[in-house]
Parts: sequence; C-alpha cells; structure tokens
Amino acid sequence: MALPGLSLPGLGLQPASTPAQGNSFAPPIEQVTRTENLPARSEWRFETSFGSPYNLRLLGGHAELFGVELATNQPYDLSGVQGAIFTWQGCQLEITGEAESEYAAEETEYATEWLNLHGMLETLRSERPSDGPRMLVVGSDNTGKSSLIRSVAAWGVKAGRTPTVVNLDPRQGLLAPPSSLSAVTLGSQMEVETGFGIAPTSGPTSMPVKTPLIYHYPYASPTDRPDVYKALATRLALSTTSKLEEDVTAKQSGLMVDTPGSLGLTDGKGNISEILHHLISEFSINVIVSLGPERLTNSLSKRYSTAKGHEEAIPVLRIAKPGGVAERGEPHMKQLRSRQIKQYFFGSANESLNPHSHSIPFDNVVIYGAKPLASATETSSYGAAEEEEDDYDPYTDNPTTTASGSGTSNAFFEKVTPSVAMTASLIAIKFCPANSDESTIRDSAVMGFLYVADVDEGRKKVRFLAPHPQGWGNRALVWGGWPEAVVDLVT
Amino acid sequence: MAARSPRGSLSGASDIASDFEDSLKDLQRNDRFAIENLTNIARESTEHAQAISRVLENHIKATAPTRKLPALYVLDSIVKNVGTPYTVYLGRGLYSTFMESYGSNNDPTTRRAMDNLLKTWKEPVPGSMDHRPVFPPDVVRPIESALIRWKTGMLQKQNQPQLQPQGGYRSTATPPQYNGQYAVPPVPVQQNAYNAFGSQQTPQQLAGHAVYHTPTPMQQHYAAPPTSVLHAPIDVQVVKADISSLISRLQTQFAAAPYDTQVQTKLSQILDLQRAVDAKPPFGDSLRQVRDIVAALAAGLPPLPAPTPQPHAPVQWQAPTPTPQWQPPASFPLPYQPQTAASYMQPPPAQSQPLPILTPGALSSLQALLANGQKPSTPQMRTAVPALSSASHTQLNNVQNNVAAAPTANTADLLAALAKSGMFPIMSAPNATPSVPFSASVAAPPASSTASLLQSLQSILPPASQNGTPTMIPAQLVASKPRIPFSAAALKQFRPELVRSLYDEQPNQCSNCGRRFLANDEGRAKKARHLDWHFRTNQRMADPNTGRGQHRSWFVDEMEWIRLTEFDPSTTTADAAIAATTAKKQKGPQDQYVRAPAGVTRNTCSICQEEMRSSYSEELQDWVFMNAAMYNGKIAHATCVEEIKKSSLQSASGAMAAALSGAYAGGRRQRSETPDSALGKRKAEGALAGAGARIKMG
Ligand SMILES: [Zn+2]
Ligand SMILES: [Zn+2]
Repeated sequence: MALPGLSLPGLGLQPASTPAQGNSFAPPIEQVTRTENLPARSEWRFETSFGSPYNLRLLGGHAELFGVELATNQPYDLSGVQGAIFTWQGCQLEITGEAESEYAAEETEYATEWLNLHGMLETLRSERPSDGPRMLVVGSDNTGKSSLIRSVAAWGVKAGRTPTVVNLDPRQGLLAPPSSLSAVTLGSQMEVETGFGIAPTSGPTSMPVKTPLIYHYPYASPTDRPDVYKALATRLALSTTSKLEEDVTAKQSGLMVDTPGSLGLTDGKGNISEILHHLISEFSINVIVSLGPERLTNSLSKRYSTAKGHEEAIPVLRIAKPGGVAERGEPHMKQLRSRQIKQYFFGSANESLNPHSHSIPFDNVVIYGAKPLASATETSSYGAAEEEEDDYDPYTDNPTTTASGSGTSNAFFEKVTPSVAMTASLIAIKFCPANSDESTIRDSAVMGFLYVADVDEGRKKVRFLAPHPQGWGNRALVWGGWPEAVVDLVT
Repeated sequence: MAARSPRGSLSGASDIASDFEDSLKDLQRNDRFAIENLTNIARESTEHAQAISRVLENHIKATAPTRKLPALYVLDSIVKNVGTPYTVYLGRGLYSTFMESYGSNNDPTTRRAMDNLLKTWKEPVPGSMDHRPVFPPDVVRPIESALIRWKTGMLQKQNQPQLQPQGGYRSTATPPQYNGQYAVPPVPVQQNAYNAFGSQQTPQQLAGHAVYHTPTPMQQHYAAPPTSVLHAPIDVQVVKADISSLISRLQTQFAAAPYDTQVQTKLSQILDLQRAVDAKPPFGDSLRQVRDIVAALAAGLPPLPAPTPQPHAPVQWQAPTPTPQWQPPASFPLPYQPQTAASYMQPPPAQSQPLPILTPGALSSLQALLANGQKPSTPQMRTAVPALSSASHTQLNNVQNNVAAAPTANTADLLAALAKSGMFPIMSAPNATPSVPFSASVAAPPASSTASLLQSLQSILPPASQNGTPTMIPAQLVASKPRIPFSAAALKQFRPELVRSLYDEQPNQCSNCGRRFLANDEGRAKKARHLDWHFRTNQRMADPNTGRGQHRSWFVDEMEWIRLTEFDPSTTTADAAIAATTAKKQKGPQDQYVRAPAGVTRNTCSICQEEMRSSYSEELQDWVFMNAAMYNGKIAHATCVEEIKKSSLQSASGAMAAALSGAYAGGRRQRSETPDSALGKRKAEGALAGAGARIKMG
C-alpha cells in the first residue's frame, strides 16, 4: 500500500521535497560567515529558530555540545536549537547563519560541576561494579535537566560506558515523538546534532543507531493522569531493571532518569510530589540530582538523605543550572514537537526516510481514545501520604484505578470511531492485540506511531501515514489528545 | 519446537541455512537464475552468513565432481555481489574448498574454468568503486602457489609412466611455507555490489540458456607465479632516503611556489608517507607500494620553475602536523593549558597565507556536501570549496558524477574522484591514487585507496582482540582515576584530569564524527574498523538503490529490548558481533533448567503434555530437568513456555503483567515488593527492590 508519490489529497498539501527541517550544509551566499575565538572553559551560547539555517564548524582546538565532541572541520546544522558549544581547552569556531541570540560566555561554573558529576558517577561505577549509579534528575522546567543528562551520558559513553537513559517527560521524545516515555541503553557514540542519535531504520545510517523502548503517555503532564503515568513508570522501571540484570556492563554503567519539570515543584510547605516518590522507589534510585531551587533540594534531602527504617539513605546533590538556559516559549516547544514528529516519519537531512500510506475502512480498525482525567479521580486527588504526615501528596490517585481492569467509571480508554477530529494527530500502535483488556493496552510498549493523514467520514475510510510499509496486524491503536495536531507534516 | 524467530535466532539461522542448502542441492549445472537466486538468499541473510558459508563450503566438498563448478560459481557470485561478511567466512576455508574441487576434477575444461575463476579473485570486482581484490592476496596466493606446484608435478608425472590416474593434488600437502598464513583478518572487507550479469550479458544470452559468467576483468596472464615473489628485496633504508630527497626537492619547489596546489598536495602526501614509514617500517608488498609511490611522485615532478619569491612575505614552510592546525591569536587568553595538549597550538595556515586551493577544510566541506547523499548543486560546491569557484560547469558536473558514485568517506577517495574528473591532475602514476592517511596514528604506507590502506593496516597491526563481548569494554582509561566523593563539597573544584581522560588520553580521533580512540594497539585497531565502517556506510548510503525505500523500523517489544545487547557496530568485528549474538541466543530456553524436586525423576510438561525426564548435571551436582521452566507453578519445557509467550501477541506481557500487578499494587509508597521475575529466570530482588543498593554519602 505504499504510496510512492506520497500525495495527501485529504490535506491538500504537497509532499515534502526535503524531509524534516532539511536544510543543506551550504548556506546561501549572502550569509555572513564569521569566526569566534573562545578561551578555555568558555562557551558559545546560541538560540536559533527552526526556519533559518545555522551552521557551526570547529576550526581549531576542541569543543563539545552537551558532552558530544565536535569533529574538526565538519559542518553541524544547529537550527532550532538552544544550546552552548563548550570548550575545555579553547577553540575557534566558524559560524554561518542567523541566530535569535548568540554570545560568548565565560561564566561556566556549571560545566565544572557537571563534569565533576560525571567524575562522581565514574567513581561509583568503579567502586560498585555490580551495582552502578541510578540517578534521578529533578528540577523545574528550563533548568537544563535534559542537557545535564545528555552531557553526563555522552561523557560516560566516551569513557567506555553504556549508560541507560530514561526519559519520563512526555513533552519531549527521546528517539521517538512526543507522548513517548522511553528508555535507551547507549552502546555507541552520541551525536552532536540529534543528541542521542537515531532509532533503527531499514537502511544504513551515518552513525550507529540506538534502540529505544517506548511507552505511550498521551498527556502533557504526569498530573493529567497520575494513575496511568505511575503505571507506565512502573512498567518502564521493570523493563529497564530487567535489562540491566541481563547485561552487567549496562548495570555497572547505570541509569539516568530525566523527569518533567512539574515534578520538580513543591507545594507551599515545600512538600514533594507523590509521583516523584513513586519514581524514586520504582527505579531504585540511589543518587538524586536536583537542579531546582533550594527548597526542593532541602525537601528531598530531608526525605531521602538520611536512612529511614529499612531504607538506606540516598544522597541528594544540588547542581548549578547552566547560565545560558532561557525560558523556552511554548511556540518553540511546539515547533520542537512538530520536528520530532516529522523526523520520526521522514528522518533527517542525513537519513531521509519514506513513510507509507495505509488506507483502511473504519470497520477494520479498533482505536481507543485515551480519556482525559476523569472528574471522579479529580475530586480525591489531594490527600495525606500514608507513611508520613508531613508528606505532601497532591497527586494521589484514586486507589481503585490502579487495579487492572477496574470499573468503567475510571476507564482509561474508550473505543472510538475514526473522525475528522483525529486528523493530523498521532496514534500509537501497541504491541498487544486489539481486544486486550484496558490495563494491558495501557501498559504495552509501542510498536510505532501512525499519523492520521485523512479521515473520510463519508466513505468511512481512514488514511494513516505509517513509518513502515508493512501493516501492524490486529494490534490495539491508541489516540490521545497529546501531542497536538501537526498540520504541516507534509509541507 | 524450534520457533522460527523473525529476528534470526539460532533456529532462524539453521532454517535459512537449510533453505539455502536445499536450493544448493538442486543446482546441477551452470544455471544463472539458480545462482542468482542463491546469491539473493545470501544477500538477504547476512546475519546468517557464517552458517550459509559453512553450508556452501560443505556442499562444494561433498557434491559430485560435475556439480562442483556450479557451486563454486555460487561462491563467486556471493563474494562478488554481496561481499562482506561472506568474503571473510569463505576466505578462511577457500584454500581447501578450492583445492578439493580442483583436485577432484579431471575435466580440463572445468579446470580451466576454475583457473579463470581464481584469476578474477585477485582483481577488484569489475565496475566497483572498491579497488581491493575480491579476496585479499594472502587468501588467493597460497592457492596459486599450490596449483603451480601441483601442475608442475603433473607435468613431471606425465613424462613418467602413469601410476595414478588422478588425485595428484591430494598427495600434495599444503605447501609448508604457507601453512597458517592465509587466515583472513577478521575485519570485514566490503565489496561494492555490482551487476555481474547485466553489464556483460548479451540479450541472447539472457533470453536463452542462462549461464553464469564469471566476470573476467582483465586480460592478464596468470600462469606465472605472483609477480611479487620474483621481486628483488627492497631495502627500506633506500626507500627512506628516496623519501627524504624527494621531500627536500618538493620543499624547494614549495618555497618557490607556495600556491601551487600540486606541489602542496604532493608534499603533504610525501610527509604523511614519511611519518608512516618512520612510525612503522613497512615490509613486503607494503614496502613495494611505498617505493612505487615515491618513484611515481618523483617522476611526476615538473622541472624546477624559476623561483618567484613573494615580494613581502617570505614564506616559511613548516611541516604540517596531522592534527588540525590552529593557534589562537596572540591576544587570546588561555587560562587552562594542559601539558599534553600542545597539538592545537600550531601556526594557523589560514592566517599566514590565503586559503590554499584544496585545504583539508575545503575538502571536508566538499565531503560533507557529498555525504548528504544528494547530488550537490554547482553553486553549493562552489561555496563549499572556493577553489572550485573558477571551474566550469562541465568540470563541476564531472566532479559531481565522479564523486556522487562513491562519496567520500575520506579525503583520499574524494581526491581520487576529483583527479578522475580532470580537475586536479594530482598524480601521474598510473595506479597510485593519492592517499592521505587520516592521521599520524594510521601508521601505514599509502595504498591505492583508503580501503586497501586499511587492509594493509591489518597486516601490520596485531589482529583485533577476539573476545566475544561486543559491548564496549569499559576502557580503563586512566590508571590514576581520581576518586571523587558524591558530595556537594567535591562539586566546585575544577579537575583537569577529568578533561584529560576525555581528550588527551584518547588522542586518536576520527575526523568524520569526532569519536576518540586510545593510542594503543586496541585503539588503533578499533579506529581502523571504525573508519572502515564509515566508508562502508557512506558507500551504502550513496548507493541510489539503498536510498529509495528506506523507512523507520518498528520499535522493539519489551522482551527484545531487554535481551538486546547494545554494542557499537562501528568498532565491532563481524566475528565478535556474531559470536555475541550467538552467545546471547544460546542462553535461550533450551539451556534453562529446573532442579528436580527430591525423588521426582519424571514430569509431564504442563503445556505439551509430553514426558520429561530428569538428568544429572555434573556442573550443578544435582538432578535437573533440562530445557525446563516453571509455568503456572508447574514444570514445563522451557521451549514450550517460550512458544506460548511468542505465539500470543502479548509476548511477555502476561508474565510481566503478573509480576507488575504485584509490584504495583504493593509498591505504592514503600519500595516495591520483589515480584516474580518477568523473565522467569531471575529474581528481580536487588534490582527492582533495590535491596542494599544504596550509595553512601561522601
Ligand atoms: Zn567516526
Ligand atoms: Zn512441552
């Protein structure tokens, strides 16, 4: 059913000539190329828009972007990126293209702290080879959590480790579109432009691929469906733990868990989100890194850094946030999501991919709509923790929802008929059969994502854009309200 | 019970190999379509290349003499059309495979055909961008020598009363001087795919009785022993002296005409060469190649032009270092100067002279342009390489066509392609493509291409470590690794040793992707494999046939992800990767066991209802049921349990859900209770429950 030309009449759009953001390395002639000399331990901060090309080239010295070293004289396309090229030794950069903002900065104490964190993780790996560090990084939005994880993961890989990174923020995908919660063990070098690299494709890739495990949480925040979020976190923790048990090298290298900013918030009394406790427990976290305010760190230390009963203490470390991190506006985030979705289907400039069109009658698809937070659970969502009176539990879910296949009032999913409302949104293919029970569908890993290209309610046909030419069999499909529709996928 | 795993388990391998074997057995004559078909099976199942190669070798040895030649054609077609890893697997046993076939055949026509076949293996695949021979010389040469000896022996025998009608070869043992010398290095040798048939087949041949034709690339006589054997020994000192004198000649020229790219290129090549020779004196063929290149460079030198010194700036020549040269401007603050990192403080060529026509920078931007996979536009090329700005459209088109065919994992190939376009008549030597060793660490003589450069490296470097673990072995980078306690107090202080461990202690860098390698033998071998990997993938990405139908793969399911061992394909040998997959697979269900409860010697599998008997395990010093696992509290065949997990789409989700429901229900605030392991093999305690796995402060 592959559509070679990939015209999508339902959208009235032309096929993309160059996939994704796809600008080429060669800039238009009129663009100014300039060089920057950076002294040792300084950085080049930049924020670039998605539309206009921004190319960087290392002319001399050494430099890295979030821990991933740049090769000399190779052009890197960094449009739509907020980041900082850091140099430990000093370097000369050649810059082409326009940025929304760019400047050299020498206040880089954060980098020293981050590198020291890497050194600490290395120490833990050497001293406890059978049980590596399992680190959770917490902090509010725009504090550099993901950049920190990228950096220490990249340094770890460079030191010969195979760390496992877990992303629990559904707003940004890791090797997958948004609404994914994912885990990946990094067995090969990371990439400057894409960060973690690329997920497997059918053909050769310019860098070794990374194979993630994906779950589907089609909401923007953990608090939208805390019950579902916690169940998926548990599931992901079980898979990850099982994998590390299979692979001693990976276990020694350890785990790095990235969390959404909302979990870094405390209530008025400084109490920590109950979901965060859940994550610390499920992933057997033994190192906590806080990028948040003093208050959060204090609360975490109070709760974890002294042994309590049968639990041993977990050290909590507060780390500097990088100076360059600016508030990323919602328009930027939306474009980022849109780019991730495009890249999932179309690949990048280096590895261009062809999605395939599948046209299917309504009768032949079973789609579950993921329901938003039910009012029933909302009413009981605040309460005290069972164990400690002073623990704040803003997100405690209704206990009955955690039992699998529970009553209809708390259902996560309802079967839906395809409708135009689905147009341009993402649908997850779950590994489980279409007729599985609710909790199985909820907990199953994701085989792939479909893009709803067109819904013809008159002819009762839905057309999907799929990453793969083959069908997906009789598997459960889940449609959620997140991420938002991306109408310009094929422009 | 062997489920056919879609991802190529052991059972999958044997299935495919036996499919292959069945088709092979049907091959009675030289049937092109059958041979093509077998080639396609091999192409699509490279993950089972080892098994397929073994089947093929065994078949060639076992089958009737008349069928041996068609089977050899299958081998030929696979190594020429598919290449690695088959060249590696089939290369190892090639001597005995070939000699057995040759010896068991009396028919002069067949033998001639085999002679011709062998001849083509010394050549590159016709039409391929890859300049390496089909099999490396150290694979083919022992066969050639043995054949010559055998033929000589046969001639002598013909002059005597015939005692034995045939089989003379069998009494000729492997020539002793070649014993053990034809093992192929484990590094994959990629052959570019080419159309063995299309280019040479006339329409009649295609329409009529299709016959597999061995490509016969060159009209070259072969009866003589390999020419290399006849060469007089070359004195490495003589070659070194030649290099030195050539360098001083070129330096004079360079001083006279600093903007002459031809001189510049030659000079940088010869300097690279000198470094390589000094670092690791070549011998044998490598030395001969070096000598030929030096001779070619020297012969190509134009007469010394009249010196035209620059009026203002006398050019001071400085030997280029292999690492990119750059020096911060004088005003440049350098608070941190690692002792070892002197390499980046070289004089900046870009500041002391105008941009030379083909600087490494220009080359790499051109490379990057081409690595995009799409044909770059002429303006793009002009922008990327200022030197091309004056080139005509026709010239640029030439460049595009020549480089588009094989962009450009490396400078050498790019230069070759440029030279081919008539843009830069860099070398006048007939077959010496200019080659620029990647860096000083690649201590090897230049060869006709990077590929063969890498190959010749293999003969110099010790073989790659053969341990079967494909996961990256944690590089014990530093003996004096700093111990940094996990504490706030340790956060602020800058530790240059951490920077050093990530940079200076891994000085050997890939110019494509920036990846670093240790400066020891292992690091060099890894880097060689890594560069070869870049080369192969770039070649494949440039192939218009691969570009079209590429698509994203489905994500993997939980069980597959859990079992997947991440490794870096760019630095792992095909062997190690296969060994690892095999090792991983051998941990499959059939190796699981359950200790027999006291007094229980028999059990009925709770799934297939067949009887199971206990056996005594020496290793475990206990009675066990092999291929057994607990299923719903009862002992069952592990393979049956596996089957059930696989057959339902839920894969492991049933077992996992069971494990999870316990974990989740019980684990809300406190640490999860240990659930039964989802894998049925391992308790999750210490992992999920995290028992005792806490790290102390400070
Ligand atoms: Zn590389
Ligand atoms: Zn059974």
